[in-house]
Amino acid sequence: MSKNPVLIARVTRCSTRSFVGASRLPEPDVPTFGSFCKASAQRGQSEVIGLIYDIRIEDDEFTRQIAIASDPPREQLADNRFSRLIPIEISCLSVGYRIENEFTQRIPPQPPMTLDEVYALTDDEVREFTAGLDFVPLVFAAPGLAADDLVTAALQHAARVRAKNERRGFLIEAGRVCAKYLSVDLPRLERLVRSLTP
Amino acid sequence: MSLEIQRLISQIQDMAQVAARQVAELEHLIPKAEGALHAHAGEDPQELIEKISRAGQSWRGAIPTSEAIDAIFSTPPIPSKFTALGADGSQILPDRHSLALYYLINTGSIVVQHGSGDAPLTASHPRIFYEEQDLYPTGDALIKSEWIVALRDVAEMAELARLADGDQGAPSLALLDNGLLLWIVGQEGVIPSTQIDRLKTEYQRSMQRIRTSGSALAGFVDRPRSANVIRMLHLAGLPKEEISDEALRAHPFQRLNDGMLFSRLLSAGQRSARFGIISPINQDFSLAGHGIQFFYLNSGYRDQIARIEIPDWVGENDALMQLVHAGIVEECRTTGMPYVLARAHELAVVSQSDRQTLERALQAFLMEQGLQVEISQKERAKRWLGLGRRSTRRSHLL
Repeated sequence: MSKNPVLIARVTRCSTRSFVGASRLPEPDVPTFGSFCKASAQRGQSEVIGLIYDIRIEDDEFTRQIAIASDPPREQLADNRFSRLIPIEISCLSVGYRIENEFTQRIPPQPPMTLDEVYALTDDEVREFTAGLDFVPLVFAAPGLAADDLVTAALQHAARVRAKNERRGFLIEAGRVCAKYLSVDLPRLERLVRSLTP
Repeated sequence: MSLEIQRLISQIQDMAQVAARQVAELEHLIPKAEGALHAHAGEDPQELIEKISRAGQSWRGAIPTSEAIDAIFSTPPIPSKFTALGADGSQILPDRHSLALYYLINTGSIVVQHGSGDAPLTASHPRIFYEEQDLYPTGDALIKSEWIVALRDVAEMAELARLADGDQGAPSLALLDNGLLLWIVGQEGVIPSTQIDRLKTEYQRSMQRIRTSGSALAGFVDRPRSANVIRMLHLAGLPKEEISDEALRAHPFQRLNDGMLFSRLLSAGQRSARFGIISPINQDFSLAGHGIQFFYLNSGYRDQIARIEIPDWVGENDALMQLVHAGIVEECRTTGMPYVLARAHELAVVSQSDRQTLERALQAFLMEQGLQVEISQKERAKRWLGLGRRSTRRSHLL
């Protein structure tokens, strides 16, 4: 949970539907699946809001050598875990944008540019963005994603940044929104609602 | 792919046959060289030194030290705490097809405190050279690549000295990924001799700083191809009165190198005796108090044989020698070459992609200055052709 913007990556490739950023954050700061982020676009006139759907830590032959060595020195383990330039790749689904402090939950007009900074949304920003839930169908419509898990993680994240007495109401409303889109697949809806239940 | 491998298949087969024949011939020579090593080890060392003095200025062999030439030393105990320092460098050479004329030297370095459990400290120091005096140091011609490589070598040793200066407490071992002699010193005519002297002075000053810090210094040469010891064995077998350039050239161990000989003699972790290097560059370094010796080491990783170069002041100091020997064996344990050198290389290397990123930034800043610059059309076409397919391992965009 963040109060201030935390730089989590820089954009390496992008489209209007999604963007991928690379970072080398130490472990505790690696953002989590289903959390929200933002990257500037249109030369700073707008911000694209992303939902993290994949986090990938690359390896290389050097790391594999250390991994298979018998009793590798602790210093080498620490080096490979904390210091080496092994990028963490963060893939984000574009679920909205912000222009002049107003959030819109649609595909953004333009993607961010290469090497633009990606920040985690602050708690206040997550609360404000998830005041509406029009981003949910964008997630269901995205091809090839674990959409139900991603929606669940995003909604639970959004619930956690709210006051305790608001969480239950928020999740009930979120369940209603999901029901609108999954009413033709009741077993799936049931699974999703069960996983949203606090 | 433009290389038609199919058309090369018969040539590759011939090449493999020739290589197999050469290996068989050389295998046949190794026991003879081994026999010569043991035979001459029992002789009066003074006799061999006298023969070396008759071999002339152009002979590039080894000279024995205080250790018997066939001596073998097992790995000393690995210290529970020691610091390994590594530095390496890389460069971008000036390219007239680039956006602008410049060159870059990047040094990478790492400090591993063995026994601490702490993550190592890493650093890289990139520096870009673009001023007239950098690019045209003699006034007219563009700086030669050999000069830039020498500047990189000097920067590597300076970086090791910086790390050694800052290292306190545990004994420390400073490693370079190459021999320790500054190659450019023997290349008079490539760059002005005043510049060679300046580079050499700076390099040796860094070596002195490492010596003063109490650290051991060593250069690690993987897959060595030198034959200094082999040449010495041939010389040792010649009667004094028959020593001539012609006799020295016509030796029975042609193409056999020291690595092949010592791969037969050394078991995991063992090192050979130390030897001195006969060369004008080493003479020069000796006068400055940093004459170079070498020995061969089985690093213990897949029976890899490395040549280790050390200054005289390390070779003649038992504690520093033990640290070099044990420290390198420990450093090679997981990766086959000293870990600090593998990582320093990673920190120093400038990839093609790094270079393109640098040039994109350069283009943006030049445009801010109102300069419209582009790479040459030849370079652009090469990049189009060299792009290849994107890796399938990358996660896809939706």
